[in-house]
Amino acid sequence: MNDFYLIRKNLTRNKLRMSLNLFAIFIAFFLFGALGSIKNAFDAGVDLAAADRLVVVNSISFTQTLPVAYANKIKSIEGVRKVTWANWFGGYYQDPKQMAMTFIVDPESYLDVYSELQLTDNEKNRWFNNRQGVVVGEQLAKNYGWEKGDRIPISSNIFSLHEGGHTWDVVIDGIFKGETEGVDTSYMLMHHKYFFETQAYPGEWLGWLTVTTADPELNETISRAIDQQFANSSAETETTTEAAFNKAFIEQVGDIGQIITLVVLAAFFSILMIVGNSMMLSVRERVKEIAVLKTLGFPSARVFIMVLAESLLLACVGGLLGSVFAEVMIGGLTQVPAITRIFPNLVITAETWMTAVFLMLLLGCLTGFFPALRALKLKTIDALSKG
Amino acid sequence: MTDFIYELKQVHKKFVKGQESVEIFDGLDLGIKRGDFVSIMGPSGSGKTTLLNMLGGVDRPSSGALLFDGNPINDLNEGQLAKWRADHIGFIFQFYNLMPMLTAEKNVELPLLLKKLSPKKRKENVATALELVGLGERAKHRPNELSGGQQQRVAIARAIVSDPDVLLCDEPTGDLDRSTATDILENLQLLNKEFNKTIIMVTHDPVAAAYANTSLHLDKGVFVEKDVAA
Amino acid sequence: MSALLPQIRTVVSMNILSLPQRMWMALTTLLAVAIVVAVLLAFLAMANGFQTTVKNSGSDALGIGLRAGSQAELNSGLSNEQVKLIVEAPGIKRNADGPISSAELYVVVGGVRKSTGLEANLSLRGIELDGVALRPGVEIMEGRMFTPGKNEIVVGRAVWRDYENFEIGDEIRLGTANWRVVGIFSANGGVYESEIWTDVRTVQTQFNRGNTYQVVRFALETPGDVEKIQAYSDNNPQLNFDISTEKEYFSEQAEGIFNIIFYIGWPLAIIMALGALAGALNTMYTSVSQRTQEIATLRAIGFTGLSAFIGTMVESLLLAILGGVLGTGAAFLFFDGMQGSTLGSSFTQIVFDFQMSRESLVSGMQIAVLIGLVGGFFPALKAARIPVVKAFSMQH
Repeated sequence: MNDFYLIRKNLTRNKLRMSLNLFAIFIAFFLFGALGSIKNAFDAGVDLAAADRLVVVNSISFTQTLPVAYANKIKSIEGVRKVTWANWFGGYYQDPKQMAMTFIVDPESYLDVYSELQLTDNEKNRWFNNRQGVVVGEQLAKNYGWEKGDRIPISSNIFSLHEGGHTWDVVIDGIFKGETEGVDTSYMLMHHKYFFETQAYPGEWLGWLTVTTADPELNETISRAIDQQFANSSAETETTTEAAFNKAFIEQVGDIGQIITLVVLAAFFSILMIVGNSMMLSVRERVKEIAVLKTLGFPSARVFIMVLAESLLLACVGGLLGSVFAEVMIGGLTQVPAITRIFPNLVITAETWMTAVFLMLLLGCLTGFFPALRALKLKTIDALSKG
Repeated sequence: MTDFIYELKQVHKKFVKGQESVEIFDGLDLGIKRGDFVSIMGPSGSGKTTLLNMLGGVDRPSSGALLFDGNPINDLNEGQLAKWRADHIGFIFQFYNLMPMLTAEKNVELPLLLKKLSPKKRKENVATALELVGLGERAKHRPNELSGGQQQRVAIARAIVSDPDVLLCDEPTGDLDRSTATDILENLQLLNKEFNKTIIMVTHDPVAAAYANTSLHLDKGVFVEKDVAA
Repeated sequence: MSALLPQIRTVVSMNILSLPQRMWMALTTLLAVAIVVAVLLAFLAMANGFQTTVKNSGSDALGIGLRAGSQAELNSGLSNEQVKLIVEAPGIKRNADGPISSAELYVVVGGVRKSTGLEANLSLRGIELDGVALRPGVEIMEGRMFTPGKNEIVVGRAVWRDYENFEIGDEIRLGTANWRVVGIFSANGGVYESEIWTDVRTVQTQFNRGNTYQVVRFALETPGDVEKIQAYSDNNPQLNFDISTEKEYFSEQAEGIFNIIFYIGWPLAIIMALGALAGALNTMYTSVSQRTQEIATLRAIGFTGLSAFIGTMVESLLLAILGGVLGTGAAFLFFDGMQGSTLGSSFTQIVFDFQMSRESLVSGMQIAVLIGLVGGFFPALKAARIPVVKAFSMQH
């Protein structure tokens, strides 16, 4: 027998109460994990944005296009390392409701700038040399059950073909993975040459450009240089860091992060009160036993730690169960295409896990502190004389 | 080295409750010999329990000196007192005060958590203590599966397992019937005679008090008669 | 048995009077229930408000024509010729000047949100004056309508309220040109209040759109009936329109977002309710165990188990209902009328008010009562089954 045995026995003596508390904590941490992953899905664009990448869009709004010549003009600005560009395609697969996000890109430069998208050399070469080829993100391919080599029809809700219709036939040359778990892979990339050769509107244009800088320190200077170069032209630009661009976009969807934080806070507050009160009650019920321990010669500090440890144990067991369940459930949800189409990259990150563990300790300490303090300050004679 | 395990010199004890203060002891002197079995009797409010609490270091005199083995314990701090209790004192309560979620054997082992002992040695000590009170075969039972007398014997085993010098008993038979009480008292007597434990017992019961070698009668904080047996 | 009612009354009052003994646990349950109800109501109010805003925007009497397959105004593109042809379709209402219609062009511009100071996307809609008349409920609240051909704008109420520099007389840069704010309009609280309107030809010129449009709106001869018009487009090789009523169009646009809000809100509330239920059970079991002797004593003098059961149930329900009322009150105080905004399907902001509906209030109380019922039932069962002998045993 040791102190831990005593702590465990104390915790489990009222099995019903313990189960109810465990369940309440379980719920709080399940919510934290599940909502955290949704928040992560929204924030991934900001968190994973590269520090040295700038996004150049039309200053009117990112839905306005830019002239093709801008790519070369920007390349010649000092401090700019690489430039690539992309267009919005507005893609869907078979039914307009089945979104298949597609960017029209220049393959070599795009993969060079977005180095987190991983393809084998073989796949890259095949795509570079095949105008009708596309490369598809792992997640998107999974959503529709596509495989390498498949020939698929991709329709645009914006553009039409020369010969009429909105559907392009493309061949999947490769399926790209993200370098890390959180990288969004729910879209596909299409050859810009193929698109402009076959689409019906006159001319060519750029939707936006992505620029890498020699040094993130230069970001501001380069942004200003780019915007100045095109000031007072018919297509002025607005250049921001990738993180700021993504953040602005997310914020417009509504402050999802704030809502989630509020809900989690509310849940934690409830559970904190429920568990805290329950711990206080069980210490109150054991006043005499604690007095006996002290009379036997257990130092007050040791009794304090034993009560606190009991709360910590409860919070950690409930918290771990809840977090693991959230992990399993999110893992299951990412297998359901209907969910991944709304939330492309649901994942409980290491950071969320760390925060969860921190919260378990915090919850344990908060709920255990006052009961433990009561145990610490307990006067043995008062407690024992209540015979 | 003195003959007295406890010496009280001019001990005062005052309780303050709001505006009123009650003087329980007003200059109490007392010596208790090592190896003695002392019973303390007296009406409610006479100060018996307060005296026992002070002897056990869970309460302090307001003034005066309380010596244990010739050393004053009234100026030890809480932590030092706790350690001192663990080393020298065993407690036996009227309502046993066992931990309900622990088996008899774990209850007895409790004070040994405060000692540095090998698991094997611990087990031996626990088994010896339980044998001594005649409960060897009930080691795995929880308090609610034991009778009152059995629970009290577990409590005695818990009090002696760490081999203290003194056993302090507060109405140890107060909640028991006559024949069970006799068992318990014989048990205590055995511990006193065979193992040379100093026992100090507060009781209401003259029959219980008769088991002691020395009987003290407290009334309003004063010993009214001293009856020292030969 | 005849004295059941007085028995129940006695037990209930004993339950209630002993509440202060476990005040903190009771308050905890009450608050936990309140939080569940408030969270549920907030989500429902959000979903409800969003839906109302979008519903108020669409009219059955208005038809809307988009390029086939484009789904949203932003993706669509129409030539001048296509627009001229389609408005001649049978089923479109006419007046002395010809068909009542408005060809519109819609661009995304930036505005600075007052609350955050950050830029957000707003819709600048080029519209024909017929288009203003077409839309029921559009009213100029202040100032006047824009004059075609001038860089003048009228601003929806939500934009004027939430974004900087849209007071009447303000000059504001949108795209590459400066515009003067000449009026503020309301539109029944609908989506249009999140828009800025000006003359369609001015937008074509200032944003280099040539003679193109994105969408055409027209009055329907028979409200709700667009079949003839769709058939007309399908039979004409020069036309490829998707025709729908404006109401259909908007509800389709809103469906996705409404579903997300609604289907996050309910599961969340249910999961949180389970947590609160654990708290309620804890409280009520404590209540029963604290009063074991009291209940057993009553049983001993002839009270029935049923009265003990009902006493506990009433206590639990009372706490849950108080919690529900508190949660509803808090939700009203904090969320009702609160403004939300989100990105619509055309990448521009839709501003909406949180709205409590009668149904959501009922849902909130239902969930509270359910917590009270379940949270009280099992402890009440335990109370009813307390053996009478407990009255005679010592309390340890």
